[in-house]
Amino acid sequence: MAGGRGDGGGRGRRFGGDDGSDRRFGGRSGPLRGMPAGGRSGGGRGGGMKGGSRVVVQPHKHDGVFITKAKEDALCTRNMCPGESVYGEKRVSVQKEDRTKVEYRVWNPFRSKLAAAVLGGVDNIWIAPGTRVLYLGAASGTTVSHVSDIVGPEGLVYAVEFSHRSGRDLVNMAKKRTNVIPIIEDARHPARYRMLVGMVDVIFSDVAQPDQARILGLNASYFLKCGGHFVISIKANCIDCTQPAEAVFASEVEKLKAEQFKPSEQVTLEPFERDHACVVGGYRMPKKLGI
Amino acid sequence: MSSLRNAISRRAHKERAQPEARKRFGLLEKHKDYVVRAKAFHRKEEIIGKLKEKAAFRNPDEFYFKMINSKTVGGVHRPKPEANKYTEEELLLLKNKDIGYIHQSIRSEKKKIEKLSSTLHELDTKRPNKHVYFAEDREEAKEIQSRIGEGSNTPSFDNIPSRIKKKTASSYRELEERKQRLQKLEKLYGELALQKELKKPGRKRKLREDEMVNPTSQPVYKWRAQRKR
Ligand SMILES: C[S@@+](CC[C@H](N)C(=O)[O-])C[C@H]1O[C@@H](n2cnc3c(N)ncnc32)[C@H](O)[C@@H]1O
Repeated sequence: MAGGRGDGGGRGRRFGGDDGSDRRFGGRSGPLRGMPAGGRSGGGRGGGMKGGSRVVVQPHKHDGVFITKAKEDALCTRNMCPGESVYGEKRVSVQKEDRTKVEYRVWNPFRSKLAAAVLGGVDNIWIAPGTRVLYLGAASGTTVSHVSDIVGPEGLVYAVEFSHRSGRDLVNMAKKRTNVIPIIEDARHPARYRMLVGMVDVIFSDVAQPDQARILGLNASYFLKCGGHFVISIKANCIDCTQPAEAVFASEVEKLKAEQFKPSEQVTLEPFERDHACVVGGYRMPKKLGI
Repeated sequence: MSSLRNAISRRAHKERAQPEARKRFGLLEKHKDYVVRAKAFHRKEEIIGKLKEKAAFRNPDEFYFKMINSKTVGGVHRPKPEANKYTEEELLLLKNKDIGYIHQSIRSEKKKIEKLSSTLHELDTKRPNKHVYFAEDREEAKEIQSRIGEGSNTPSFDNIPSRIKKKTASSYRELEERKQRLQKLEKLYGELALQKELKKPGRKRKLREDEMVNPTSQPVYKWRAQRKR
């Protein structure tokens, strides 16, 4: 999987807890002086994670998502702007064979429904390196930052948030991430920001509103390409707290179908969230091609 | 000279013992023993003399509170027991302090658990959640079914050094321990809080097993409704 990004850990180590001597090698002196001085390159260290690696990072089945193992046992994404945490999450730094450092950020499933869905074993999130994503209900940008990590410098994330207060954090986050375009607007009126947003491959919606299916449909009609995909997070008691969660999910799926969406799968988000589900699917799918 | 004299062994003098006839008087007392006994006797004699003198010159009007507050039990002086050293309110305050401390411990434990569980996602264990696939027709359903069958969802992790595995395991152990500690603390907190409530005024009574709405092993109390104003 994940083709070229199988950097599998290398001589990795945890960020921050490293001693000075280690830092001298990769960080400051650069490859030119570092290589001969080390005198250890090539000798004996063959495979992915041998030697003194303190961390193992492996690609997840979803492109752009990684798994780190050490003191942590966590989902993570490759940090777009190394050295910075967005919401106080832990960072893990790994040194590759060629002594370049790569930093990953742990993706907390208790704070992000997308992470919970990924851990829940969803087959496709459609968000991958290079895709353009419209993110509805971005809040402070917790999940958006990870989506931005996944799509990478070639991709784009349009993050729509309604509340000015959360929007402030979102804008601050976007200042450091060139692939995030914050939009402080009501997602119910996509016409107001249609000048800012181009066609996108995926819409992720986490607005937690009773009419979220309609909001998603409206935005899809403006921005989602035919054959594009959607991921929607459903919080059962936001829609209808009198019905059992399963029934709410089913009725939401019906509403989505009425909006020309074709749901393909649904995962509940236990144990991270109660009575939440993520539904994934396609939009205006060409006939007889499936998802 | 004397050292030469010492070279010849002399007869060892044995200490005189109590004669057989006087055996019933115990060990034969030597002068050394007598001195100790006599000294002890005279000391006691002196003390008794002093006490007698004091008693003779006693002031009948003399009074100390200790005379009432303490007494001798079987000749041993006993101060009065201090059962009510703290007042009711002071005791309540101390209890509150204990509760406060436990509350704080609970909070810090929760924080630590949150921090740990944010980086421990149990990637290798089976998920408790539900995964539903939607299919348009029978054909698609079959296709999906076969697809699920072949590919396992959990990523394979077989080439991890044992060093790292150990670290992960110890993190999980810490999380588990903390969770258990939190449970204990919360139980303790519940007990203390109940005790505190019971100390407060208001008529209450313990419910019988059959009166509880959702029975537990813990005691349940019911307060009588009271008009505040
Ligand atoms: C559940 S939070 C999203 C959390 C976020 N996705 C994350 O994981 O970090 C829902 C957010 O949607 C925003 N929201 C609700 N209605 C909206 C609307 N009509 N347009 C835009 N944003 C909206 C709310 O302000 C709130 O911050």
